[in-house]
Amino acid sequence: MCGIAGRILEESGPIGRDLVELMDAQVHRGADSTGFALYGSPLESGYIVRAVGFERSRLDSDLEDFKSIIRSQGCDFAVDPVADDAESRHVSVRMVVSEISDLPKWTRAVDEISSRIEVQSVGRSLEIIKDVGTAADVADKHGVRDYCGTHGLGHARLATESSVVPTASHPFWARPFPDVAIVHNGQITNYFLLRNRLERQGYRFMTANDSELIAVWISDRMRQGQGKPEALRKSIDEIDGVFTYLIADRDSIGFAKDKWAIKPLVVMGDEREIAVATEEQAVRRIYLEEGDVVNFDGPAITHTWPILDAREAA
Amino acid sequence: MSEVEILAGARPIREVNEAIRSAVARGDDVVVKDTRSRHNLAIGLGAGARVRLEGSVGYYCGGLNCGARVEIQRNAGWAVGEAMSDGEIVVNGYAGMSAGTSMLGGLLHIRGDAGPRCGVAMKGGDIIVEGKIGYLSGFMAHAGRIVALGGAGDACADSLWGGEVWLGASPKSLGVDTREIEPSADEVSSVEALLESRGLRRPEVDWRKIVSAQRLWHFQSRDAQAWLMI
Repeated sequence: MCGIAGRILEESGPIGRDLVELMDAQVHRGADSTGFALYGSPLESGYIVRAVGFERSRLDSDLEDFKSIIRSQGCDFAVDPVADDAESRHVSVRMVVSEISDLPKWTRAVDEISSRIEVQSVGRSLEIIKDVGTAADVADKHGVRDYCGTHGLGHARLATESSVVPTASHPFWARPFPDVAIVHNGQITNYFLLRNRLERQGYRFMTANDSELIAVWISDRMRQGQGKPEALRKSIDEIDGVFTYLIADRDSIGFAKDKWAIKPLVVMGDEREIAVATEEQAVRRIYLEEGDVVNFDGPAITHTWPILDAREAA
Repeated sequence: MSEVEILAGARPIREVNEAIRSAVARGDDVVVKDTRSRHNLAIGLGAGARVRLEGSVGYYCGGLNCGARVEIQRNAGWAVGEAMSDGEIVVNGYAGMSAGTSMLGGLLHIRGDAGPRCGVAMKGGDIIVEGKIGYLSGFMAHAGRIVALGGAGDACADSLWGGEVWLGASPKSLGVDTREIEPSADEVSSVEALLESRGLRRPEVDWRKIVSAQRLWHFQSRDAQAWLMI
């Protein structure tokens, strides 16, 4: 059992605060770890990189090595990296880097030192913040409530398939597709088969978590020219298990739900802003008043909600 | 006897349920306000209790009911009335997944639609749904009656062990090991009487009664392929 959530605002606003509320209301669904995929104002050039360093005391030298690797790729820090000031052995780092000409190649290069610094998201807009503990723990440690943006995802994890460590938490970045993230509630049973196929094509997975597959699987379909709605529908036939997942990028949040109709999803809102979560009581933290609720309770459903900001900018 | 208002809001649910129990013990009727779709409200109440929840509720509302009358003004989440043995629960809106799971007796009356697996593992009592029942409703029920005026989704009454599903409109599809039979005049009268007791008159309905085909009563693993539904 895990809890997931998504939020879209009409324009840039307190997305962090809302997602922390949505996840705090679902803390009983899993408190092993909590994570957020946050979409702020996109950079015109360059990328935001979120990473975790595994040894705080060694962070400076690890970042030096990281810097020389990205320099070898014709990229550099645009500003100095910022690390959290907690006391945990692992440390979260936010970097802003200059333009990356070949992101798959850049990602392969930085992954050479992924046992010391693991990149958790790369995007013009996306930032993935995840750590062990409850929504309140993670929000306090990483200042998630102060984050402004247009949309985002949240996840509360009850670990079933892999270890309780910050890196095996959700959301997962669709390595190496910029700005794509997923959160998943359920268990995928054929993930190792699908993952092997993707690994043979050169994709790299960082954890033994079944959910990490989904974002890459969908993005690979889209790379081959499939539209997102079609890729979401196809995932119901090909990904086996019980699942409801949310997938976000700069343009939309979409979801797919398996044919067994086990994992719920509830949405409230209108055409301009929505809150979506595993449990209705979570979206009621955002919408205190009674209103129309859509329960996606049936089997084999997909849907995509556009991000207004992105649509208007296009 | 008077009517007592209890606010749910952000209070701990145990505290809200204790307040409901104290009011019920005094013989008061209870109105719960500001329900915010929260879980586990009005659980395990006995005969004589009358609780009205003003708004939508979350999971397991009215669960383990053993005689109370519980009314939900709007929608209910998962498993409303789970394992109830007696009493009456009314949902005026939509009832989420697994409404009436494992219920043993009493009446669950849903005025809107019900989600997937309505009446799953039911062991007695009646469920009336004025709308439609969802995917896999009646799954592995052992006894009791589900009466759905608006028909049913896919795999209706799948793997029904015993009990009956009555449909006032066509299901999208029937589940495995089901049999549709012509109900007798007495049986139809009994269902009509149940509906009339709820103020529902449906003399024009051409009832479809679904029961177990009883082949799964003697499951053989060599036949497993025949039971795969997807």
